[in-house]
Amino acid sequence: MKKIVYFDNAATSYPKPKTVLKAMKYYFEKVGGSPGRSGHRMSISASRLIEDVRETVAKVFNCPDTSRIIFTKNITEAINICLFSLLKSGDNIVTTSIEHNSVMRPIRYLEQNGISVSIVNCFPDGSIDPNAVSRKINKKTKLVISTHASNVIGTILPIEEIALITKEKNIPFLIDCAQTAGAIPIDIDLQKFTNCILGFTGHKGLLGPTGTGGMCIGTDVNISSLIHGGTGSNSDKDIQPDFLPDKLESGTINIVGIAGLKAGIDFLINEGIPKVREHEKNLVNIFIKNTDQIKSIKIYGTKDPDKQIGLISFNVKNLSPSEVCFLLDYKYSIMSRTGLHCNPNAHKTIGTFPDGTVRFSFSYFNTVDQVKKSILALKELSMNKYN
Amino acid sequence: MDGVITFFSSQQVIKAEKVLKKAGFKIMLIPGPREISPNCGVALCFEFEKQIEVQLNLKDNNIIFEKIHYFPEVKKISKWIE
Repeated sequence: MKKIVYFDNAATSYPKPKTVLKAMKYYFEKVGGSPGRSGHRMSISASRLIEDVRETVAKVFNCPDTSRIIFTKNITEAINICLFSLLKSGDNIVTTSIEHNSVMRPIRYLEQNGISVSIVNCFPDGSIDPNAVSRKINKKTKLVISTHASNVIGTILPIEEIALITKEKNIPFLIDCAQTAGAIPIDIDLQKFTNCILGFTGHKGLLGPTGTGGMCIGTDVNISSLIHGGTGSNSDKDIQPDFLPDKLESGTINIVGIAGLKAGIDFLINEGIPKVREHEKNLVNIFIKNTDQIKSIKIYGTKDPDKQIGLISFNVKNLSPSEVCFLLDYKYSIMSRTGLHCNPNAHKTIGTFPDGTVRFSFSYFNTVDQVKKSILALKELSMNKYN
Repeated sequence: MDGVITFFSSQQVIKAEKVLKKAGFKIMLIPGPREISPNCGVALCFEFEKQIEVQLNLKDNNIIFEKIHYFPEVKKISKWIE
């Protein structure tokens, strides 16, 4: 069995730092209790742990108030909470043409219920003109939502410029950081951009386990809950508390997962997110430099490592994306992601719908040697060896 | 200890514990006495004579609490753990 090369970190990161597993084991063995549910020491220890995690998350997202950091089971849940809370019939939402289905599907559902949708077209390399966002905003616009970076071609969007536009117009701006949290520094200061919400997932760039995610909510945004229930607080009343984080965290939180998430983020903070960014950028650079001259390989996106995160979409002439994915796995032990990446709109934008592309997505644990190995594999595939 | 601070949210109790411990106050977290608050499951015991300093400290750190109580019944707990 060949050594596995894992290039599907945009789906979920692998491997995780060993400390993640240790932290989860520590919770099960030594902490054990349910946070906020009792006054005994195990429950209090669990509450302390959760607050420590909020403080750690706050460092990554420049969030000044830990009570405005909400944990959910993933970013999809956080996005749904925001959309369903902030929009009602007659309102308008502005978004981009490269959004993931975690954004587009709830938006299309809301559209059937009287909410108008304005989509700003991105260029074929995934980039966007922030002024085009501004032009789409009208008096009925109650939310702008944009990905921070495309999950299909990696293009980084100018979220700070959109944050400035929306702040000026006093409209909440939800930023989908699914692909960027932990992978690149997030240049949105929630102390300044009080209209912004940063949604994150725990199991990708932040190196935590699946089942973790959440959002950091700016102080000008008031979000109500989709899920109502027990919080450990206001137990004498049968109505939902109106304070954060309890208002948005009903039911027992995924504390073992969140304990692991803290260890993932601590690892990144110790290494330094700018260092992680440089490493992944270097891998992208090596890949692009060595494949750009191969005529039968077509790379999509900006082809500029400064303008994209650590992922690349490409196709190999005369092979379908799924054939390439299969051959990479079975002949070279390279794990890639094929198809439409839960994002038909982005593929329409870049001109690869309905066939899709093959995607490599790197992590801090991938090496230059692995990328070189993948380039050799692709060279072999491009020579029609398996046609 | 003869003072008790009650909170709405358990997150705020933990925040309070952190900042007050750091500032050197003698404190302890206990199950919230039902007589004074039905809100959060945990309350914070402290020495009531320090109430002004404690209150200022919490305010400076934007910690939201429900109420500060003089609650001498809690002395029992202090004795139990001596």
